[in-house]
Amino acid sequence: MKNKELTQVGRSALKIDGRELVTGKAKFSGDFNFPNLLHGYACRSKLAAGYIKDIDISQAFKIPGVVDVILPKDIPGGNILGILPPYDQPVLAEKEIRYAGESFCLVLGTSVEAAKAGARAVKATIEPIVPILTIDEALAKDARKIHASGNITVSKKLIKGDSTKAFNEADIILEDTFETSNQEHAYMETEAVCAIPSGDDRITVYASCQSPFHIRGHIAANLNVPVAKVKVIQAYTGGSFGGKDDAATEIGSLAAVAAVRQGKPVMICLEREESIVGSTIRHASRIHYRIAAKKDGTITGKEIKILLDGGAYAAESPFVVMKALIHSAGPYIIDNIKVESTAIYTNKTYCGAFRGFGVPQVTFASESMMDELAKKLKMDPLELRRKNALKPGDLNATSQVFQESVGLIETIDKVIDLNRLYKLPSEREERYLYGTGFASMYQGISNGAEGIDVVGASVQAMQDGSALIGIGLTELGQGSRTVFAQIAAEVLGISMDKITIKQVDTDSVHDSGPTVASRSTTVGGMAVYKAAGEVKSSLLKMAALMFKTEENNIILKNNFAQLVFDENAKIPLREVCVAAYWTGFPLMNLSFSKAPEANYDQENTQGNIYVAYNYGTHMMSIRIDKLTGEVKVLKHVAVHDAGKVVNPKAFEGQVEGASLTGFGLAHLEKIQYRDGVIINPNLADYAVPTINDRIPSETISIETYNPTGPYGVKGIGEPPVSGAAASFANAVANATGIRFKKLPITRQDILKSLIKI
Amino acid sequence: MLIEFICNGKETRVDVPAEMRALDLIRNELLLTGTKCGCSKGECGSCTILVDGDPVCSCLLLAPKLQGKEITTIEYLERTNGELHPIQQAFIEEGAVQCGFCTPGMILSTKALLKKNSAPTVIEIEEGLSGNICRCTGYTKIIKAVQSAALKLQGAEK
Ligand code: FES
Ligand code: FES
Repeated sequence: MKNKELTQVGRSALKIDGRELVTGKAKFSGDFNFPNLLHGYACRSKLAAGYIKDIDISQAFKIPGVVDVILPKDIPGGNILGILPPYDQPVLAEKEIRYAGESFCLVLGTSVEAAKAGARAVKATIEPIVPILTIDEALAKDARKIHASGNITVSKKLIKGDSTKAFNEADIILEDTFETSNQEHAYMETEAVCAIPSGDDRITVYASCQSPFHIRGHIAANLNVPVAKVKVIQAYTGGSFGGKDDAATEIGSLAAVAAVRQGKPVMICLEREESIVGSTIRHASRIHYRIAAKKDGTITGKEIKILLDGGAYAAESPFVVMKALIHSAGPYIIDNIKVESTAIYTNKTYCGAFRGFGVPQVTFASESMMDELAKKLKMDPLELRRKNALKPGDLNATSQVFQESVGLIETIDKVIDLNRLYKLPSEREERYLYGTGFASMYQGISNGAEGIDVVGASVQAMQDGSALIGIGLTELGQGSRTVFAQIAAEVLGISMDKITIKQVDTDSVHDSGPTVASRSTTVGGMAVYKAAGEVKSSLLKMAALMFKTEENNIILKNNFAQLVFDENAKIPLREVCVAAYWTGFPLMNLSFSKAPEANYDQENTQGNIYVAYNYGTHMMSIRIDKLTGEVKVLKHVAVHDAGKVVNPKAFEGQVEGASLTGFGLAHLEKIQYRDGVIINPNLADYAVPTINDRIPSETISIETYNPTGPYGVKGIGEPPVSGAAASFANAVANATGIRFKKLPITRQDILKSLIKI
Repeated sequence: MLIEFICNGKETRVDVPAEMRALDLIRNELLLTGTKCGCSKGECGSCTILVDGDPVCSCLLLAPKLQGKEITTIEYLERTNGELHPIQQAFIEEGAVQCGFCTPGMILSTKALLKKNSAPTVIEIEEGLSGNICRCTGYTKIIKAVQSAALKLQGAEK
């Protein structure tokens, strides 16, 4: 896999599904229209905790248009949700309510309005219990148990070297506690599904989702039918960012149960409020952080305790716990580390995956501490990072060693250069404070410690010289279909306009696991690369026969097979495809790419976890208005080593979008609870960044060659969230001289602190 | 009640309940599902349509208010010969589309903006699109797309 003369990989190919999206033709789940379509609307608890005593549905049926009400007992299968053990969540709550917003029955109506009115008419008697709303309440000695297993969802340790000794021998010890709030995904399309019973005793479900195979499994389990009876098709999905998994399986299962019961298609589209209160959000966290260092700035030890408030159900907490655990020490060479990472149940909306997966929270803590250490040592913050930065051949926190593709130092050097050139406005007006902050981070690519990582991809060449690609990973806006098409086009020498990527339909593509962990390009891309390679070998074999020469004298390029030494001797690929077909050379292949299995000591989380890491360093310069607390970002540079970049424009788009989400986490967005109820479940009170909050992100990529990805790729979907959030916090500290220890650092927070001085 | 209006260039007569929202009329009755619903509260701009050339949140508008008006939805931008409108082209070329859910609304707001102001400054673009939320792109490429569309349209006029 040498990277010479690439024609498709490395160029900004236009998004292959762009046309459908700009014309409004792309069908999202809520856009389907079937005859006799019924609409489902859930009854949700207003209380954060309580015992369900009675549900009286009789009044609902008096509402015109109400057709049916589905109760837990009407779910033929397990009434179960949960992607991972401990599978602690019901589709519909039966006995106990564990968060405000939890649904306990589904009303079906001939219109959304009817279903909604029916839901309002359902009378639920719920005996309130005192909700457990904070980590401390949940961990208190005699705390009520939210689940039979207790209030600890999962707890993991990472131990490397001897941190006690490091702290005993340290010249300097710093310690502090940091907190972050919940963040809402706020994809513009809310969760939606449409289930259609088909005449062949099967059920088809269109879903706005991240992992169609999760939904398929859940539907089968809740319908109590074999998985093969269920077909899930991912419709165009209006953003996901980790979020369209658990709630999508919940409404997918409900719609399927309702559709089978009624023998009619059923659609469920969550309203914005439901999408906020009844679907996962980012874990809030409290992180206690200790650093031991030598006078010269060498970090010798870290001790970190991470508490993640996971809300009422486990969902993907076990993954987030692992990610936070592994990344909390940061991208540095540290011989002695002790980390404990724990997720805790509370009576609040349950938390799950969200772009970054626990890494933004710990990076904020880690990078705030780096700056404090630099201050204490009177060292330049970038120099301190550089001194401790991981290089090829170093042991990272889990003692995994990468001999290649560790470009952290290059990202720091780039920022050092840019910072030298950049001058904050010199005409300082009294009214403003200026500051610049930096943050370095890394993020593991692939499922790693969270599970087996296999992707299956099919490539089929047609007799007209076009190709059809099937892969079980979902396009969520990040541009993965375009990237897969570019890889297939590169291998086959076919132009992009002749490549089609199948919709993810569980009947026709192989289960490829969830589209998470910035793994699509690396692990998914590798599967496409391999399958295309097999088809290519058929085409080369055929072309060799046609040219009467050896295969290695032929290349496939621009829709032709041509002789290496004579560009003019060429045969159209479509003719080669036809000949191959009639000769019996296979034109289709299903290949698998399997990331090397994580191989580590589970007790101490030491060993090989991920196939690669993305490394990054961000710089953010801001101006704060002392009178209003208003922050303006003057400059933001995101430098990442993401391996080979397949599509520079899509890459920038990922960095720009993820950075603004990180900025939102750090400055604007905050889920607010009162008595366990979210009081800002809408886009007016919950501040998703608008165009006026935009930050001027510049994207710089340091291309290293990652041997575990096709053409040396890694991934970029998540990492900038952490970099932007942490560099913002450091910029505020630099400008104000005040260390804020809680995200978000809002304008009001800044103003209040400035007034106090 | 019976209303008459021009929808995407076609005279349209429909009987609608007085309380029906324009968004539901457009999506469910006229089957123009390119107009999206992201919040139903006028907070996201996904449901933007043009009413007599002005961008309006169709989730806040009652269908009967369309009486006598001329409306444009995203479906009307593509030329009949299948050629994309310059704004649509610019959105694709500049990478301003990720998931695409905000895109119809963004494009229509852009159209209204460029009609009033053929060479908007960045601040004017921000103003013109401040009612449209995009969670995916970070907006930078959307601004570039608007600028590029402005140039394309100016070029077309000359
Ligand atoms: S759906 Fe109308 S503004 Fe959001
Ligand atoms: S492209 Fe996804 S919301 Fe704008």
